[in-house]
Amino acid sequence: MRSNLLLGTLAVLFFVPFVLLALLAVGEGWRFPAALPPAYSLAAVRGLLGPGTDLLAGLGRSLLLAGTVAVVATAGGFGLARAIARSAWARHWEVASYLPYALPPVLLAVLIQPFIIRLHLSGSVGGVLLGLLLMALPFATLLLRSFWTRQATEYEQLARTLGCTPGQALRQVLLPLAWPLLRTALFQTFLLAWFDFGLTNVLSVGKVRTLTVQVFAYVGEANAPLAAVASLLLLLPPALLLRLNRAALLRKNP
Amino acid sequence: MPFRLPKLLLGSYGLLVVGLPLAGLAYALLGSVGLAGPLAAGCTGRYWLALGHDTSLLYAALYSAAVAGAVLLLSVGLALALVLGAQASLRRGPLLGLLYVPLLMPTLVMAFYLFQLLSRAGWLARVSYQAGLTGRLEDFPELVQDAAGVGIVLAQVLLTFPFLALLFQAIYQESRLDDYYQLTRTLGASAGQFRRRVALPLLLRRAAPTLLLSAVATLGAYDIPLLLGRPYPQMLSVYLTTRLQRFDLRELPAAYLAGFVVAGGLLVLLVLALRTIRRHAL
Repeated sequence: MRSNLLLGTLAVLFFVPFVLLALLAVGEGWRFPAALPPAYSLAAVRGLLGPGTDLLAGLGRSLLLAGTVAVVATAGGFGLARAIARSAWARHWEVASYLPYALPPVLLAVLIQPFIIRLHLSGSVGGVLLGLLLMALPFATLLLRSFWTRQATEYEQLARTLGCTPGQALRQVLLPLAWPLLRTALFQTFLLAWFDFGLTNVLSVGKVRTLTVQVFAYVGEANAPLAAVASLLLLLPPALLLRLNRAALLRKNP
Repeated sequence: MPFRLPKLLLGSYGLLVVGLPLAGLAYALLGSVGLAGPLAAGCTGRYWLALGHDTSLLYAALYSAAVAGAVLLLSVGLALALVLGAQASLRRGPLLGLLYVPLLMPTLVMAFYLFQLLSRAGWLARVSYQAGLTGRLEDFPELVQDAAGVGIVLAQVLLTFPFLALLFQAIYQESRLDDYYQLTRTLGASAGQFRRRVALPLLLRRAAPTLLLSAVATLGAYDIPLLLGRPYPQMLSVYLTTRLQRFDLRELPAAYLAGFVVAGGLLVLLVLALRTIRRHAL
């Protein structure tokens, strides 16, 4: 009985956001003091494809940015974790990797912004990508560092002894062994970039209109229906990832 | 040799993850003494001296610390209550899966949702009006963009406590606390004594680094205070970006100084706290 009550309370607490966002997305002329919309319309949802809004472009931009960050950070992190594991200064590299991860993203963006401006990357996708990689790359490196144990090295050496080229050892031995961790790194770095608003907004000066930047813009314009549609779009990839792999979504401290 | 990483790669990595943030910190320091920035006019200590009279940064820091403290306290309390009080439900049934749902939510979406729910024209205000509990907009309590930061705390807690509950649950299982429970019961301890004297210290000590990072993340939160906070008092990240984005370039050195003090302060705080945690680690 107590357990059901707890379950019910948490279910209401966690699912009301989805219901309210859906009502805001389809409600028409919903003003105070009406508790429910007087009419329903798919105008805001159709606005996805309309000429006046660039929600679909924002979705594409966000997917491209987060996807690129995930792939580059995971691939780079895998190689870097290997290099760190074999370095004489492994512990120092690990501590150094915590530096950008320890500062709040907006503060990090504020600190590096003068250099982004000097590199002529301010307000560009490249600048945002660099900023996001600054957070995602050390995260993936620290996460994947746990793969490069003595055992992984011994497997690699064994494969080489049996005649594999370095490339074959990587493709046929190391990558399959590391796949569960690589998948977690891919998911988490994707979400890191997908959820980001502050760093993107500061470094792009509002010009790289990802979905999160658009939600904020629509809220500023008091356009609740479009803000709700953009919010629901933001929830889609994480929901899909949750369905695919629940464990990978729990952002553990690497 | 497709997989031989040259030292150049580690060097580039070092430049990116250490060089760039430290260069930013150095630039902020130089900017605060008038040696860098668009209007740099030579070495001066006046911005540092003015810091003593300008209380806005101090207020922002104290306000952020109060919010972060409240969020941490509430989130840890709720997560521990759930893990220690509903262990059986967490082990079977859909409760554990339910805790993953808030992890889907970007902070900005959570802030937008709570604004729509809790503002004076929000959904709760409408329901209370329809139920006859309030007669005017002003009758509904100010729950967002309020001075006490109730909306900010609520949003952060809603996002943090499920994550901490999942973390505590993972530690509970990894540490085989169920076996300890049986042992302490055999030795005559009550369930309450087991929770207070065995489970609670173990969970808190093992989760301490994550709790610390979570507190730092709340301290530097941006999206939620930007939507649910007031222009005054502001949380640190919002305060910093507001100062840096002012049109008056003469204000930049003071903004650089604030950025340097906040980033340096956070790093020192983090190092000290991590050392303390490591000294008392299990």
